[in-house]
Amino acid sequence: MNQLPITVKKRKNRGDGAWGYAFIAVALVVYALFTAYPVASAFIISFQKYKPLGSTFIGWENYAETFQDSLFWKSLRNTVVYTVLTVPVGLLISFSIAILILPLKKFLQTTFKAIYYLPAVASGVTLSVVWLWIYDPLPAGILNQVVHFFGGSNQNWLGASATAMFSLVLMSWLSSHGTAIIIYLAALLGIDDSYYEAADLDGATFLQKIWHIVIPCLKPTTLFLFVTGIIGSFQVFQNAFLMTGGGPDNATTMVGLLIFNNAFKYFEFGEAAAQSLILAVIIAGISLIQFKFLGKDVEY
Amino acid sequence: MKRKLRVLASIMALTLSVTSLAACGSSKGDSSPSPSGSASASGSAAPSGEKDTITALLPPVSPTYQDNFAQMEKEFNALYPNLTLKIEPASWEDMSQKLDTQVNAGSPPDIAFIGSGGIAKYVDQGMLMDITDSVTPDMVSDFDPLPLEYMKNGNSLYGLPAYMEVHAIGGNKQFLEQAGIDWKKVQQEGWTYEQFREAIKKGVVTENGKKRYGFVFATAGVASRDYLTILVKNAGMPDPFTSDLKYAYTSKNYLEVLKAVRQMIDDGSMPKELSSVDAGKRWNMFLTGQTMITGKGLAVFENSAKKNNAKIDANDGSAVKDSIKVDYVVLPVPSFLGQPPVSSTVVDGYVTFRGKKEPTAEHKANVVKAAYFLASGKVAATTNNDLFAAHITKSAKEAAKSMTIDRNPDNIAAVDVMLSHAAKPRPDIPTDKAAQAIKLEDEVIIPKLQALLANEIKPEAMYEAVKAAAIKAFGEDGVVKD
Repeated sequence: MNQLPITVKKRKNRGDGAWGYAFIAVALVVYALFTAYPVASAFIISFQKYKPLGSTFIGWENYAETFQDSLFWKSLRNTVVYTVLTVPVGLLISFSIAILILPLKKFLQTTFKAIYYLPAVASGVTLSVVWLWIYDPLPAGILNQVVHFFGGSNQNWLGASATAMFSLVLMSWLSSHGTAIIIYLAALLGIDDSYYEAADLDGATFLQKIWHIVIPCLKPTTLFLFVTGIIGSFQVFQNAFLMTGGGPDNATTMVGLLIFNNAFKYFEFGEAAAQSLILAVIIAGISLIQFKFLGKDVEY
Repeated sequence: MKRKLRVLASIMALTLSVTSLAACGSSKGDSSPSPSGSASASGSAAPSGEKDTITALLPPVSPTYQDNFAQMEKEFNALYPNLTLKIEPASWEDMSQKLDTQVNAGSPPDIAFIGSGGIAKYVDQGMLMDITDSVTPDMVSDFDPLPLEYMKNGNSLYGLPAYMEVHAIGGNKQFLEQAGIDWKKVQQEGWTYEQFREAIKKGVVTENGKKRYGFVFATAGVASRDYLTILVKNAGMPDPFTSDLKYAYTSKNYLEVLKAVRQMIDDGSMPKELSSVDAGKRWNMFLTGQTMITGKGLAVFENSAKKNNAKIDANDGSAVKDSIKVDYVVLPVPSFLGQPPVSSTVVDGYVTFRGKKEPTAEHKANVVKAAYFLASGKVAATTNNDLFAAHITKSAKEAAKSMTIDRNPDNIAAVDVMLSHAAKPRPDIPTDKAAQAIKLEDEVIIPKLQALLANEIKPEAMYEAVKAAAIKAFGEDGVVKD
């Protein structure tokens, strides 16, 4: 007597499952074609000497060459330096701007959000051209004129090892906060007013409210932005490619640029694939560490 | 009803998957179409006299080149009614990436316009089409022998050249004369580095608080490659490899050139920010009177200067801001250490590619017809006149007779002198060695040169770095020791 309803339930579930698969089929096929297949291909190519007319299997050679390549280690060091300098400071800038925008009226909030998001909409190439203009090395260059105004001497911003990396970092600090600001603002607006009211009753100052209410409440948001920021920063390519070409003396060659050069300049697709996978493992490792140490008391 | 819907949904999902996978798989199929839609690149059979389509990926070789594509396609079809020339335009910025993507996918165009320096790279990929047995004797005899040699690798011919240009330097006639430089003599007899160094020192002038440099060469990023290349060619190293295939840049002469690179900046004849001066910046500096001599210089710069002069005369607002009228004078690169002058030449042309399938003899012959049509006669005459480049085919010279061109005869004569001692092509260099030399150049020479220009390392340190990398790449016995 008891078996009949169970059978009906099972059949119902099977039907729902089939429909579920049908609905996710398109997304699944797109994922398989444009994510899973390329990753699997890259994995296979990383063990090959790639040629369009027939590749040859060479085992771990591409990985061995990568680990023996001093330029790979230099580019990895450059990438780490760039990440350490851009991501935490960038988050701090975004957070500060979001805090400044928060008390404004809705119209002004929207206006500022649009202003800060504008660089994200503009082409990276266009932004790079503007920054190249700012970093003009001759005395007539915009930034050099500012330096002269304060009594400093002319700087070869992108052409000298001492300033090239800093120039890319400065560019990141000043032009890539749109997304983070919008996410921070959304999270700030989600904090219940009762927390602030209670803090007011206790006589908390502005900074005490930031430290004891805002920062803990925004921890999931900060963790998300921190993890995605580091992933993005490790994959940085465009700035170095367009602004410095990796120079001078490879002072701004990042792993992304090295992979691009190996693949599209020298047609060393096997080595490029191996380096991509090494980079993916490094990024995954760092992300896991971040979640382990920073995500302990984060509720999602 | 529910059952029917489930079946329908499953069929739809399956169909979508199969279609997508089939689309993916077809790129490896035998009947893969070329990027522009014809099956020609994959070498499908095209029996003689049968219809065939030839695809060509072409950048804006000259200012008006791409405007003439429709006319070129029409004229080619009129010449060979069974053949269709399908031209895919590309910008210079896209050209390399577009072509490389197509090549590595195994479906390149039949013809692409690239520099002869890129031939070794594509030969190594196995994607170039050897046309040695498809070009007719008439076609071969139409070309000057030297530029045609540049399109070879080993004994194989991989395309037809469009022009051979000299990488020189260019001067402002008025400033040269003010500095007491007999530029006409220099054009005909050349100059040594010592003479050049003195000349550019004299070219340094400060007027109204603004400094004019003696010499500015674009060296930002990879442009620094051109700078060093044209200098070392005139220091007894016309090529990265000697005739016995030893790597040449470990020679002591190389160190002397590096010292000269630093000297000219330390003298104040070149800006200390040189490492960040790109091609656009130095041309702007030339037109605005901020330098006496600029580099690299191409013959077509005379045309650019003339156009800007005309705009200044007409009070046209599109003239370069703060520019002055300039008479552009073609000048040779100085020679070093008593070595004979060797002009750095660039030979670009129509390189022939193959797909994954072996091309048929008929298709190869058709591709050659198209490449020859583009590289000779009226098309070449129009393009090269537009570029102020010398004609390298008899048919183009003939066609150019009826065309007028406003060019300084002194500059024409100077270019002819430089072409008379143009660097010889080196089809004997194996592709793997050529590839290693390019990688060494990209990963060691250019980065170190940027550091040298920025005064971060000494010439000796750069020389030692290049030597160490060369020995690592080619072995102790594979490099020059003098």
